[in-house]
Amino acid sequence: MRHPVLLCTVLLGAAPLTAQPAVPPPSQTAQGDVAVTIYNNNRALVEDRRQMNLPAGRSRQEFRDVSAQIEPQTVTLSGRGIGIVEQNFDFDLLSPQALMQSAVGQTVTIVRINPATGAETRERARILAANGGVVMQIGERIEVLRDDSLPTRVIFDTVPPSLRPRPTLSVTLDADGGGPRPVTLTYLTPGLGWAADYVALFDEANGRMDVQGWITLTNNSGTPYVNASTLLVAGAVGQSGPYRGDRYGGGYPPPPPPPPPPGYDGSLRRPGTETAPRERLGDFYLYPLPERTTIADRQTKQVSFLDVSNTPAARAYEFHNGWLSTADQAISASSVLRFSSARNAGLGDALPAGTVRVYQRDARGNPQFVGEHRIGHTPMGSDIGLATGQAFDVKVRPVVEERTRQSGERWRTRMRYTVTNAGPRPVTVDVVQSGLWGDTRIIDQSLRSERLSADAARWRVAVPANGEAVVTATFDTRH
Amino acid sequence: VRALLFLLTLAVAAPAAAQPVVTSPAPERVAITIYRDPERGLSSMNLEWLGGYALVSETRRVRLPPGESELRFEGVTAGLVPQSAIVTGLGPAVIEKNRDARLLSPGSLLAAHLGQRLTLRRTSLATGAMREQEAIVRSTAGGVVLQTADGIETLRCTGLAETVVADQVPVGLSAKPTLSVRVRSPGAIERDVTLSYITNNFDWQADYIADLAPDGRTLRLFGWLTLANGDDTALEQADTQAVAGKLNRERVWVDRGDAPPIQISCWPSGKTTDLPLDERGVPPPPPPPPPAPATMRSSESIVVTGSRIMAREERLGDVRLYRIPIAVTVAARSQKQVALLERPAVRVERKLRLRASPGELSQPLDRVLLTRNRSAEGLGLALPAGKVALFASHGGRRILIGEGRIHDYTIGEKVEIRVASAPGVRARQSEVPDRPGVYRLTVTNDLPTPEEVEVELPLEARGSGLKRGDGAMLWNVRVPANRSAELVYRVSDGG
Repeated sequence: MRHPVLLCTVLLGAAPLTAQPAVPPPSQTAQGDVAVTIYNNNRALVEDRRQMNLPAGRSRQEFRDVSAQIEPQTVTLSGRGIGIVEQNFDFDLLSPQALMQSAVGQTVTIVRINPATGAETRERARILAANGGVVMQIGERIEVLRDDSLPTRVIFDTVPPSLRPRPTLSVTLDADGGGPRPVTLTYLTPGLGWAADYVALFDEANGRMDVQGWITLTNNSGTPYVNASTLLVAGAVGQSGPYRGDRYGGGYPPPPPPPPPPGYDGSLRRPGTETAPRERLGDFYLYPLPERTTIADRQTKQVSFLDVSNTPAARAYEFHNGWLSTADQAISASSVLRFSSARNAGLGDALPAGTVRVYQRDARGNPQFVGEHRIGHTPMGSDIGLATGQAFDVKVRPVVEERTRQSGERWRTRMRYTVTNAGPRPVTVDVVQSGLWGDTRIIDQSLRSERLSADAARWRVAVPANGEAVVTATFDTRH
Repeated sequence: VRALLFLLTLAVAAPAAAQPVVTSPAPERVAITIYRDPERGLSSMNLEWLGGYALVSETRRVRLPPGESELRFEGVTAGLVPQSAIVTGLGPAVIEKNRDARLLSPGSLLAAHLGQRLTLRRTSLATGAMREQEAIVRSTAGGVVLQTADGIETLRCTGLAETVVADQVPVGLSAKPTLSVRVRSPGAIERDVTLSYITNNFDWQADYIADLAPDGRTLRLFGWLTLANGDDTALEQADTQAVAGKLNRERVWVDRGDAPPIQISCWPSGKTTDLPLDERGVPPPPPPPPPAPATMRSSESIVVTGSRIMAREERLGDVRLYRIPIAVTVAARSQKQVALLERPAVRVERKLRLRASPGELSQPLDRVLLTRNRSAEGLGLALPAGKVALFASHGGRRILIGEGRIHDYTIGEKVEIRVASAPGVRARQSEVPDRPGVYRLTVTNDLPTPEEVEVELPLEARGSGLKRGDGAMLWNVRVPANRSAELVYRVSDGG
């Protein structure tokens, strides 16, 4: 317990004296005017416009405060009257071991401390080797460093210029004249990503919904971006960056989970064809943050981008049954929140990919969470159906009632779907039977079905309040 | 240690910023709604690893100066999902919401001083004299390199008692991940702000106690609402609710914070006196200790409140909400139980059940309780999923005669609980010699009472005494006391 207490006193003593800003002001960072463009796939383009005082002719310039995960091969540097001779990315790190290795053949100062008296003796020593142990020459003697385990300080005269505390980008420039000038550094880096988060407050009685949209950006790149102009691109450019592994000792957190796959998107029921009133570049919507902001390292930042109230929304129920599946006990239907992103009677915007969290007010009027679902990038004008959870009161029990062989390979299968509603309002449940591939026919049914595809048929089953409805169907199949 | 942490937080917050930092230390009022782990199914809660979650709504009184300021929320749970945090009550004054996970640790303290001055303190082990000198941190990559007035030195490669001392906490490092909003307002603000968020590491379930009447026809059903908080944060005097039903959840990545230790490594330090083992190199690190067994820790307090307070049920969209009528404290790392429901006389049917498929078989039958969730049977209310313990009395003593689990039952559903297996009522089945596809099933009863037995067979089974059930063929038979019953059936190919 001694150490924390000590540390604490030090901190307390220091606290009132200092007046440090919560983020380093621009003067403390080597970054200049920073613009960050962030994509959904944990990747960002950083543009850093710095004032540099360059000597005329060739000079080597180090760039501090770039992303700790910079992809050095993507760096470009531009400025008036400068030419690039070479770019280097040095990751020979300064550590005690590297320091000792580079001191081989050099002379260092050895300070021995007498354990009984504390008296110090200084000597100059020449490092002969540092393999498994340090062998050195002091005058005419050859010694192993700290072979006697006695306290011994080793003082090196200099740090070799090639050793750096962090991987460092350096560029050798050829400037046509000396003097200060703006220089623009651009590079790609992983570790910055974003997604949208939506808060939907659903008013079931009135069939309305309020939606707020938040841009959530995360910075795990190891570096803060100070007072950055930030642009978010709703899309993923290229594939993930090159393998970096643990080349620099790791230490970076795992990247956030990948965005939902671009393929099947269960929430998007009908893609829209309207163009949203947002900035656009090529195929992508752009979401600029309204003002400059500092994106600290290990920060999750949220900024509002959408606020729509009173948009129509409705609750629907869906149930999917696999081929030949019988349930012992009734299974809850999915509760689906349906709404539109259209200009008319909808959210009136394109929705960048993210998670929609749905809330409903309880009997006391407090919003309560009732489920969430991820959506992909959704164009304006789309119909969206979010499966937010399982209905407690609306259940379906599918039963294979009979299965008989007709002739040869033909079979008859009679299914019964019992749909129950323990709720106080009548509901309509979409019962979908899948697995109807091939030449399956429905030869008899108690309710008209709609063939959604070769594989699936749907019955829209109206169930009264506190009641049940039964649908039967007989399928003629090859197997 | 808690007081210490608090001081640390204070110290971090104290350096006033270019924009003033206002800290809201704790909520005035808090409400919590606990949701079950949607993936847990019917297994029990693991108190060390709660997979459910909760919605926490906190009301906080805040005073903000005019202009730009940063409002920090302290006393939030550790499992907070930052993507879900909602701050209401400040209106358009909110510019952005931040959650910072750079944590103060020995390693981050040193790393933040890279290129800056610290004090290097050495204590003589001989005399106890302390010597302090200035040092600049030159590197913290794989060991600490310092620059002193003497030259370049390394930390703790010398055998001396030495350490570095900082004079302030670097900006942006905090004891725990912090949630804050940046606010800009033309005038000073004083008002109630609501902070709500979803937090992981909570869970709940129903626990039913059923006492079977001596006649075996009715039971008294009592249900507990058992909720658990696996977080380090207690929710004091909270309006507490629980939601029954299964809601969809998405995986989100939450930065738990980065608190690196100091990396100390030195140059090769082999000696002439080293044992040969050491010459071969550094021995491999010891294997990590085995994970602690996932047992319930005895130190966890289990709070059982009186059953006079009963949770009230209401409908919430498509799920059910149970509201505890009084404010309760949901303590950190604890489990709490409140009465959920009580039904004095529920009519039940006890049956023995077997699910058989063609093949060799020899096993005891399952004892199941059957009823319907209707008021006619003495039920007729939503039954959230949970465990059922079945008791009977024997000579004035209460004896546990079975344990089962139920899933969410709504009103009107058939309720079926498998509570035990009956070791003395067994089924044997084998194929009849020389008659492929024909099976003989024998049920033997060692009880002194006749027993109702229901055997479920595949739809393809044919035989006298078989009835068509829901997706199966049923053989319902009353096996006489201390006797047996026999069925011969054929499995057709459906033709």
